Amino acid sequence: MRHIVSVLAIVVMVAWVSPVLGAQVLHMYSALDTAETQLYIPEFEKDTGIKVEWVRLSSGEVLARLRAEAKNPQVSIWYGGPSQDHISGKKAGTSVPYKPPLDWGLQDNAHDPDWSWVGFYFGAIGFGSNTDFLKKAGVPAPTSWDDLLKPVFKGQIAIAFPYTSGTSYTVLATLVQMMGEDKAFEYWKKLNANIHHYDKSGSAPVTQAGLGEVGIAISFSHDLIAKGNAKGYPIISTFPKEGTGYEIGGISLVKGGPEPELAKKFVDWALSVRAQNLMQQWFRIPLNPKAEVAKGAVKADQVKLINFDAVKAGEDRDRLIKRWRSEIGQ
Amino acid sequence: MGREAGLDSAREVSWRQMDGLRRILREPVLAAAIGVIVASLFLFVIYPLVRVFQMSVVEDGRFTLHVYRDLLSKAFERRPLYNSLLLGVLVALAGTAVGYLFAFAIARADVPWKRFFRVIATFPIISPPFVLSLAAILMLGRKGFITRMLFQGQWDPHIYGLRGLVLVETIAFFPTAFLIMLGVLQAIDPALEESSLNLGATRWQVFRTVTLPLSVPGLASSLLVLFVESLADFGNPIILSGNFPVLSVQAYLHITGMVDFSGGAALAVILLFPTLTAFLLQKYWVGRKSYVTVTGKPSPARLSVDPMTRRLLLGLCLAMTGVILLLYGTVVFGSFVTLWGANYTLTLTHYVSVFHIGGRYLRDTLILASVATPVTGILGMIIAFLVVRKQFVGKGLMDLTSMLTFAVPGTVVGIGYILAFNEPPLLLTGTAAIIVLLFIFRNVPVGSRAGVAALQQIDKAIEEAATNLGAGSGRTFVTITLPLITPAFFSGLAYSFVRCMTAISAVIFVVSGKWNLITVAILGLVENADLSQAAAFSLVLIAIVLVVLGLIQVGVGRVATSQMGYEPSG
Repeated sequence: MRHIVSVLAIVVMVAWVSPVLGAQVLHMYSALDTAETQLYIPEFEKDTGIKVEWVRLSSGEVLARLRAEAKNPQVSIWYGGPSQDHISGKKAGTSVPYKPPLDWGLQDNAHDPDWSWVGFYFGAIGFGSNTDFLKKAGVPAPTSWDDLLKPVFKGQIAIAFPYTSGTSYTVLATLVQMMGEDKAFEYWKKLNANIHHYDKSGSAPVTQAGLGEVGIAISFSHDLIAKGNAKGYPIISTFPKEGTGYEIGGISLVKGGPEPELAKKFVDWALSVRAQNLMQQWFRIPLNPKAEVAKGAVKADQVKLINFDAVKAGEDRDRLIKRWRSEIGQ
Repeated sequence: MGREAGLDSAREVSWRQMDGLRRILREPVLAAAIGVIVASLFLFVIYPLVRVFQMSVVEDGRFTLHVYRDLLSKAFERRPLYNSLLLGVLVALAGTAVGYLFAFAIARADVPWKRFFRVIATFPIISPPFVLSLAAILMLGRKGFITRMLFQGQWDPHIYGLRGLVLVETIAFFPTAFLIMLGVLQAIDPALEESSLNLGATRWQVFRTVTLPLSVPGLASSLLVLFVESLADFGNPIILSGNFPVLSVQAYLHITGMVDFSGGAALAVILLFPTLTAFLLQKYWVGRKSYVTVTGKPSPARLSVDPMTRRLLLGLCLAMTGVILLLYGTVVFGSFVTLWGANYTLTLTHYVSVFHIGGRYLRDTLILASVATPVTGILGMIIAFLVVRKQFVGKGLMDLTSMLTFAVPGTVVGIGYILAFNEPPLLLTGTAAIIVLLFIFRNVPVGSRAGVAALQQIDKAIEEAATNLGAGSGRTFVTITLPLITPAFFSGLAYSFVRCMTAISAVIFVVSGKWNLITVAILGLVENADLSQAAAFSLVLIAIVLVVLGLIQVGVGRVATSQMGYEPSG
């Protein structure tokens, strides 16, 4: 018995200490899905020899954690999530500027004016419908925001909470910028009658629609494809004809983070052709013009986009979410 | 006269306390142990709760109730409270009924396959709580097994919400009711029932007028405990609550999603009220009304029920067993399915991903659990020893405090830990220590309760003999007490290991990039509706728990038989 205990103690000690020894470690919050983060991080580790320890959180949750940990930052980098959430982070003082050296032009709306965040992909908000469900209900896939209000979709639509999910907040901000604030909330109240339930993560509705637990998911185009058809689910993606909002997915450095130099290396890597090409696996549209776009991915010129103001969306976040909670009651 | 006697006894008590104090001061080891334990209980049990309370009532350094006013004035913020209470009551009733059914069938009705039913009725304890929610979706969701096969998708069982939660929580928590009721029924002397039968009562009358009234305290305590467990549950409602928000999940969303620490803390305090009330009722009111009728005299052979009733009970137990096996069976099946809902070919890829994606979570969980478990076990035994054998000031408080973590919902504790240990000098966020401490102080009551029960059955004289021969408290504890309570120590170890491996509600607040846990990872998978992967992860987790329990069981067997000739039961 005593031997077992001492052996166990040694094993535990070794296992405890070993990850700390050797490689440099970068700490990260990733707002990309676990499965997707897992596609990129090992490649970064292979390319740079830097080890990454990461936690997957929805981007609203990342923001909450960074604000809570402001006095004692646990991570150096926030990877993924719509730019408006990064803009809220800048407003909350959780980020620090970094301008990566680029040999190509990044559009002005794809980075912060002070480089407090940098964009690395594009994606548009769309609807993913389960084709089996559509067939059974005998309706075509929704092609407008108004279509979603049809009684036949009662209890069939899934979306995330706007406060936990960057995806869902993008939807809210889109509606507000398109319809005006009061009209947008009126619209969402009607939409609420058709919502089956709210999720925490913005891409979760896609799988639920794929499963058939709900008929329609509202989410980002790349998630609709990567977690829908590409996985083998019967999902058809459609986009609202009135116009839709979009995200520039961002990365930002955390103010006071423990490993700023490693974090900068990560930003440089994420914008490289190699890293941008990896995103084909998840059907994201890369921003680096030399990178390739995956077949079937939805590009900006294929859908009608509104003139989305991410800065305004980021700055209004707290207020809009407060109003959303009290009017929708979730 | 009475008054004088009262004064006398009061004097005696205070004299004894003084004497105790003097004796303790004479033993520096003992005094130091008490000091360290009291201090750490205060720091890691009381202080986080104080911080939660403080967060909810202090704003800009001033006392205010406006957070509560805000919360309670809005209908949609009040709803989680009503929902939680309703769910708690329903689960308490249903779970107690099922638990009583199994306990009665085993202890009184002499049904066949008793060992099998015993295993079934305790199995849900070792599985992570949310596995049942996962199973419910796989089985009764819109694309669930039963929904599709039996009803061809014509009928929606609406499991997202109250119905589904009552189902899964009843199955998750009825084992507690079963264990309580089994203990109670076995403590009722069958001679009582026998004699009323002999006096001409029918078997139904015997049940109604003897057995049932004697099990009332047990029933009451089971109802209260299940009510607490349901209110504290987080893993199931976060997956299955749909549009039926409950307090534990709302408190979590307020903090992790809205950065609303005061609102989250206030919801936690609101959650604490009913659970603490139920816990105190159970401990101080129901707990004292035990009708133990076992006298030590040999009892006649087991009293039984008539064949019809036995068949009925057997049928009910089998039906319930069927439901439980079906639920876990669906999880097993689901873990081999390529893509639930679209492609049902069988595959092993999800098990590969357990080690590919889940490897580091498994490693972290095992390391943290194996550091926390022995510490929890030893600390539990020391507290039990002090509480049962020693006299000192604050003893009652130590007992109550160590039990407190049991009654406080994990969500409240988790929030308390991030509030209390996020700033120097107690800067623990992001470390392994915060998770280990949380494990230890969440589970210490399990060990100490087992230790107290074991110690109360062991005559003090053996330890006194050692003390008289010159051994100090520390030496007596190590050489005499500890070996005597080894079985209790190991069962405390086993149970706290299980709780470490399956915990979610509190630890979800303190995991970090450096230290993450498998349960949190599984929850993420379920939330993302990666059902098959989540199923595979859960089964691997259950398998690990079973293996470790087996090892501990072997350890108990060896130590117990070699040292005391004591055969552990069941």
